[in-house]
Amino acid sequence: MASPCVQDVTFSECENSHAGKLCLQLNCNSDCVHILRSMVAVMTVRADMDELQGNRVAIAVDEVYANIAAHAYEGSPGRVEFETEIICHDGKNRELVFNFRDYAAVRWTGSLEGVTTEVPDVETLCPGGIGLKLICSVADYCEHEILDDGNRWQIGFVI
Amino acid sequence: MRETDMTLQFELENQEEGTALLRVTGDITIHTSPRLREQLKPLLSAQMKEVQVALDGVNFMDSSGIATLVEGLQWGRLTGGRFVLSGLRDNVRDIFSLAKLDMVFEIVDSTV
Repeated sequence: MASPCVQDVTFSECENSHAGKLCLQLNCNSDCVHILRSMVAVMTVRADMDELQGNRVAIAVDEVYANIAAHAYEGSPGRVEFETEIICHDGKNRELVFNFRDYAAVRWTGSLEGVTTEVPDVETLCPGGIGLKLICSVADYCEHEILDDGNRWQIGFVI
Repeated sequence: MRETDMTLQFELENQEEGTALLRVTGDITIHTSPRLREQLKPLLSAQMKEVQVALDGVNFMDSSGIATLVEGLQWGRLTGGRFVLSGLRDNVRDIFSLAKLDMVFEIVDSTV
């Protein structure tokens, strides 16, 4: 059984505000996905998203997290900082943003450029790569940056 | 608000010789999908003609769950067996549709 995975939860700024930010540090294990899902549920409600939209956001967040767990930390526990907020641009346009920061020795070297959302070829469809396809299908944008001591991911949804 | 289901439950019905129906209940995530694979793998044999996975009880599925089901799709392609998904809820159907996987899997509304 994995050890408790939540290391720190911070409710910063105005937690009663729609512009509030939620932050979390996890000891990355696959059984922590439900914790992220709770935070996603809070933020998608704050963003006035319906259940279907909320489910899409949850999928994208799950997939980024799973990518870090499986490929950056390669199944071993490791530190992940997770932060989510609703950003208001010029008082009108809003974005729901999720940031992930890991400190893995393995840098993710995949590419988001070649990920297509075309109909998969049944002859060549394989289990790998479906997560990235889902992220790119549901998020308005997804960015990945290799850092000196890990990786940073950001996904965003226009509200 | 729905709570996250961290467990998966299975019910296997052998309908007639060479066919199987696997009912799945719970959320299929990176944490739970290995259990789905454990249940599904023995069914994907040369002796089987048809394997149906009933997903009426699944409200959330991520790519690890889809990847497991892709193995069923591959089995069908290699052996000529029929691999069917049934009873997809709106949330799950939406994800299949977004990834255009509804065009490669055989999906039916309810168990056949």
